[in-house]
Amino acid sequence: MSNLQSLHQSLVSSVSKKDYETASKQLSQLKIALLQHNALIPSADVSADILVGSREVLEIGAIVSIHLGDESAFLRYYAQLQPFYASQALNKSPSKNKNKIVGLYLLLLLTKNNIADFHTTIENIPDVEQDVFLGYPVTLERWLMEGSYDKVWLATKGSRVPSEEYAMFSEVLVGTIRHEIASCSEKAYASLPVSNAKQLLFLDSEGAVIEFAAERNWEVRDGRIYFPQEEADKASLSSQSIINYAIGYAQELENIV
Amino acid sequence: MVDKRSLRSSKRTDDNNKNNDSSSSNNKPSSKPTRSSSRRTASGASKKTPVTENTEKTTEADKQPEPPVEDTQMVGVQEPKKDLSGDVEMGDDTIDKKEDGTTEEKKEDPAVTTYNEIKQNFTLLERAVALFDSRYTLRVLRSIASHRRKVTAEIISKVVQDYYPAGHEAADYLLQQIGQTQSTMDVDESSQDVLPEVDVYLHLLVQIFLLDQKQYEQGAEFSSQLVEKVHSLNRRTLDALASKVYFYYARFFELLPAPAITNIRAQLLASLRTATLRKDVDLQATLITLLLRNYIATSDITQADHLVNKTKFPESAANNLIARYNYYLGKIKAIQLDYSGAHEQLVSAIRKAPQTPAAAGFLQAANKLNIIVELLMGDIPDRATFREPRLSKALHAYFLLVKAVRVGELEAFHTLLEQHADTFKRDGTYTLVLRLRQNVIKTGIRMMSLTYSRISLRDICIRLGLESEESAEYIVAKAIRDGVIEATLDHEKGYMQSKEILDIYATQEPMEAFHSRISFCMSLHNDSVKAMRFPMNQHRLELKNAQEARERERELAKEIQEGEMDDDDGGDFDAL
Repeated sequence: MSNLQSLHQSLVSSVSKKDYETASKQLSQLKIALLQHNALIPSADVSADILVGSREVLEIGAIVSIHLGDESAFLRYYAQLQPFYASQALNKSPSKNKNKIVGLYLLLLLTKNNIADFHTTIENIPDVEQDVFLGYPVTLERWLMEGSYDKVWLATKGSRVPSEEYAMFSEVLVGTIRHEIASCSEKAYASLPVSNAKQLLFLDSEGAVIEFAAERNWEVRDGRIYFPQEEADKASLSSQSIINYAIGYAQELENIV
Repeated sequence: MVDKRSLRSSKRTDDNNKNNDSSSSNNKPSSKPTRSSSRRTASGASKKTPVTENTEKTTEADKQPEPPVEDTQMVGVQEPKKDLSGDVEMGDDTIDKKEDGTTEEKKEDPAVTTYNEIKQNFTLLERAVALFDSRYTLRVLRSIASHRRKVTAEIISKVVQDYYPAGHEAADYLLQQIGQTQSTMDVDESSQDVLPEVDVYLHLLVQIFLLDQKQYEQGAEFSSQLVEKVHSLNRRTLDALASKVYFYYARFFELLPAPAITNIRAQLLASLRTATLRKDVDLQATLITLLLRNYIATSDITQADHLVNKTKFPESAANNLIARYNYYLGKIKAIQLDYSGAHEQLVSAIRKAPQTPAAAGFLQAANKLNIIVELLMGDIPDRATFREPRLSKALHAYFLLVKAVRVGELEAFHTLLEQHADTFKRDGTYTLVLRLRQNVIKTGIRMMSLTYSRISLRDICIRLGLESEESAEYIVAKAIRDGVIEATLDHEKGYMQSKEILDIYATQEPMEAFHSRISFCMSLHNDSVKAMRFPMNQHRLELKNAQEARERERELAKEIQEGEMDDDDGGDFDAL
């Protein structure tokens, strides 16, 4: 027990010093200790105090793994935290960090473009928009869906982000929207001046635009970007499918007769 | 079997005569003396009378073609009944009875009617067990709906005391549950064995009685014990009854305060496992729908999805259960953004749902969800849906929503959302409605693209109520990529240029649309063929007939050859 507490203390101190490498080492020790106390999964025979402690440890673990950029570790911590959040015994002392963790999870889903899971998770949370941490990914998703990419871009700037962990995702998000914009532009414009493209794609210099254009196989001529024209091939009716349908109908008719 | 029945009917005659003696002065003297005697002999006469029976029952009976012999028997079972006034009368009855307690003989007619009907159901259950035919059980279950309104503690206690041998522990238990004590009345049939089906049926009656009395705590406890009991029995003839038991079991826990609902999951899952192993289709289907309902009630969509993926819903389940299952699937898919899948499920749920007034609630819920899903898919729901009398009131908020989305006005959409937020939250569609915002924008853009051949981004921005031109540009670009509109953007001059509209009949679209309709008709036809029912062993009879006919033919041919054909054989030939 004392061992557990001292480990917990040192973990908190190393996190506050932003020494995440040490923290992750301490975390693995702590998890073994928690396992020995049978507190890694909430159960009725472990006292609520220890469970609250282990919930805190797991939450710290989740945040540390975000700082280390370890997504799969974060997802593991998130999964481990679920029974703690659902547990009746712990409802009396709700976690302060719960919304933050769930918000981070939502943001992670968003960056991976996993919208189905995103909505499934939201469905479980009442009053999503009221909370800073939860409201952030939710509004981001709405803007992404309707196409207000400029708002997303503004939201990922430092001051608008609710906490430093959220900023970790900003880079990824900007990358995502840049590619979204690029694929939209391909369809929407015939050609575009490089300077305008720089502005549209939120890039820093025209050199970056040209680099980006090369990446996506865009043609750059006389300070303009020419997008590759898609060839119209949908007009032709494919005889194969018509034959397939017709044979199918004939078969069914024969069954009936 | 036959002995028991005759024993029963003779007993009933006694009962009726007793009642008749005491209450012949009441308003229904003429029908009684004939009734008990006519049950066996002249069932045709009583067949005309139960026209006033609960409509649900008669329609159900119409749907299922029964062999004629059984049909008359079944209808004969129903007492000639008066109209709705019977209910009112019963109210007076119970008060009377409470006053003079033990004098059971002095009963008014509706109570006796119900009593007799319940007793008659025992016979049906016994027959179901003997003939191994679940149709009799289903008939009993259907009658529950009509009994439910009339059953009182007294009726149950009388039935219970009649059926169980004296001092049977189940009888004491049941009586205790409904707050009745064992009366000193003589029990005629104490020698009879207790059939598990009838036993469970009586328990089920008590369960429903408790539900109607709103004694949820007690009912939940009672149901838990009953479920355990049913779980331990392994009889195929019990399946239909068991699924009802589980249904009410889950209902009780749903009505209890919050944590209760999650506590029954383990039991339901365990029962589902057993039911699957026993190939108990009824129970399997019931349990899957109950579990889904349970998960969705607490918004555990992921778990619900896992359940759907890991289980196979029995195809031969009852239609109502399939409809319910489709609805839940539709809900799950809608939340997971699989709108076309959700739409498919919801449409078949609406089509399969019973069209009786009792199912109006289900239809409303399914239609609400369907409307949202259609909107999310970019379709506009059929206006006729909102005109249906059963739906129009419940769907009012959704009607306004459709109007706002159809016009593509963001402003109107937002005010509507604020006004009706409570309605949507209550229906559990709020999160889905929130997703409609982008559809409103898209429709708005589409309208503009169709109307103008060229429009400046500034105008788009103003018309859609957006905050900046940049936003408008990105949104339009996205709409172009998503195929909502056919247009190009000019960034330097800041306008949107619409392309000429493609002739849809030059593409594959019409054929695809026709194909989906044809395949629907095909599968409908195939399902109808599969759903046909034939009497058991009928084909053997036919084979035998065919065999005989062939032999006769052979004989005939022989006789013709011998040139000795006479008139009798000719008659036989006609019969072929």
